[in-house]
Amino acid sequence: MNHRDRLKGIFLIAIALAFGLGALNYSIGKVERAGPGFFPLLVSSILFVLGVAMVVRAQFTKRVPAEFNVKNIAIIMSSLAAFALLSAYANMILGIIALVFVSAFAGQDYSVRRNLTISAVLIGIAFAFKLGLDLQLPLY
Amino acid sequence: MDILHNLAFGFEHALTMQNIMFCAIGCMVGTLVGLLPGLGPLATISLLLPLTFSIPTTGALIMLAGIYYGAQYGDSVSAITMKIPHASSIVACIDGYQMTLNGKTGLALFTAGVSSFIGGTVAIVVLAALAPALGEVALLFGPADYTALMLFGFVCVSFVTTGSLIDGLAMCMVGVLLGQIGTDVNSGVQRYTLGLPFLYDGVSLVSVALGCFGIAEITKNLDGHIERSPFMGEIKLMPTWPEFKRIIPSALRGSLVGSFLGIMPGGGPVIAQFAAYAIDKKVSKYKHEIGHGAIEGVAGQAAADEAAARTSFIPLMSIGIPENAVMALMMGAFIIKGIQPGPNMISAHPELFWGLVASMWIGNCFLLFLNVPMVRYLLSIFKIPYKVLFPAILFFCCIGTYSVNGSLNDVAVTASFGLMGYIFLRLSLDPAPLMLGFILGPMLEENFRRSLLLSRGSFTVFVTRPIAGTLIALIGLFVLWSFFVFVREMRAGRLARAEEGAAAAALEEG
Repeated sequence: MNHRDRLKGIFLIAIALAFGLGALNYSIGKVERAGPGFFPLLVSSILFVLGVAMVVRAQFTKRVPAEFNVKNIAIIMSSLAAFALLSAYANMILGIIALVFVSAFAGQDYSVRRNLTISAVLIGIAFAFKLGLDLQLPLY
Repeated sequence: MDILHNLAFGFEHALTMQNIMFCAIGCMVGTLVGLLPGLGPLATISLLLPLTFSIPTTGALIMLAGIYYGAQYGDSVSAITMKIPHASSIVACIDGYQMTLNGKTGLALFTAGVSSFIGGTVAIVVLAALAPALGEVALLFGPADYTALMLFGFVCVSFVTTGSLIDGLAMCMVGVLLGQIGTDVNSGVQRYTLGLPFLYDGVSLVSVALGCFGIAEITKNLDGHIERSPFMGEIKLMPTWPEFKRIIPSALRGSLVGSFLGIMPGGGPVIAQFAAYAIDKKVSKYKHEIGHGAIEGVAGQAAADEAAARTSFIPLMSIGIPENAVMALMMGAFIIKGIQPGPNMISAHPELFWGLVASMWIGNCFLLFLNVPMVRYLLSIFKIPYKVLFPAILFFCCIGTYSVNGSLNDVAVTASFGLMGYIFLRLSLDPAPLMLGFILGPMLEENFRRSLLLSRGSFTVFVTRPIAGTLIALIGLFVLWSFFVFVREMRAGRLARAEEGAAAAALEEG
């Protein structure tokens, strides 16, 4: 069942359906005076057809399974979430430290010392951006 | 003489202290990031885009352009010394790395640097001569023609970058749909905002680019557990005179090929490199050596690479339609800075246009200096292991997204695009066409709706106008041709499988 070419088509069909069904909520209008829903409906229909074409094409191609490494993407996503949450509710310095310490789990080995060094350098860069380039970062 | 006058005017603007500095920073940063594994020009530009927000317009665009062609240079250095192909330096790995194996790294780097310089110089002349003329042609374009041209661009990009028309087109459509998020300019209706106020203005370009090209790429690299061993060999840079003489003809050929292919829709550095390499293989005096570490195998493609990187600005600046994903990102940068690229840009902002063109040549000189005498110092960046690098890249993604609107919601949006981009990469769907679709989406809708309004709802307007009709016919040909190729490949595949089966059966019997 894990056939990359087929999964590809199914994923795109899902996107097409999400946007296409969403477009039905907006007024479609007439061709000469298109409403806000007209164009997205048209584009998602094209995408739907392309997705179906991929599924059909997958019948003829050799089966290559798609590989997903759930662990790494989950780690990266949680590190970003940690950064956003800590920056919102505490400050961005803590956010940066959390980003480094959580994301490092995706590396080959884990070293607290190395993470501390990376965090320190990155916080330094953040300060440089704030002072030098005038970026508004809520660092503290 | 007009060109000379215009170029002189451009140099006047590019040679201010400030702009020279921005150009140098752009080239330097571009080269360094181009050297790093797993960050192509798309990721590089999107990472650094937010940092240019506080810089004056001309300076910011000069810097971004510098980052782009600097990254092209950096790419070829890592390809030659360590056989690390980036998106845009696959060809440099063939003969360039072979030369390293033969102990001629220095010569290969020198060849690449000098050829790129020649390629860049030729391309700037082409750019200065052609862009204003093409801009006048673009004034003839109506909304239907623009619609057809954008669709044609989608087809060409899909064809070139992914090799599969269906995959690429589908990604373009996904991009167009993502561009629909936000408030519809015609009716004021909020589309696909899920009731979230921060989506009313749409998804920011930086979020899409950093998600799909930054975060998704990092995660994919982590999956692969790549560890690079840094280059430790000797570098002897100065070539002998006979060696130097071999560089020139090949580099000139490459420059012309690159300049031409850089202008074509869907064209750009990658296809130009392949073409230049193929031509050198056919016509070069030393063609028997190509593939085994010949100077020509490096010179031609390096010149084409650099030339195409610059001439690909022509369609963007004169017609206002980017021809590939990197140029789409550049267009996003222009728009963020309040400049609408297109036929009116050259007349409305001459100092920007000619300043940018002139700065490209100044950048050329910087890059020659950075990449020939300084190259051994640059290579030390490879001593940084990936496990140190990737948290830093994530940090730049976060800071970059945040600084667009000063909003942490954008970081969440970027993360979701990272997830989406990762799924795309794992399904072997190239997100580059998505970028093009995302940038062009709103323009496509605008022009599409306007042409139907003007034609009172008749679709024939896309066929009867000469420009639109020609482009649509070409699209039709492309579609038919790729279908034909697919059917033929499948037949051949089935035959091969049948033969294998027969052979296996024969073995069992025997």
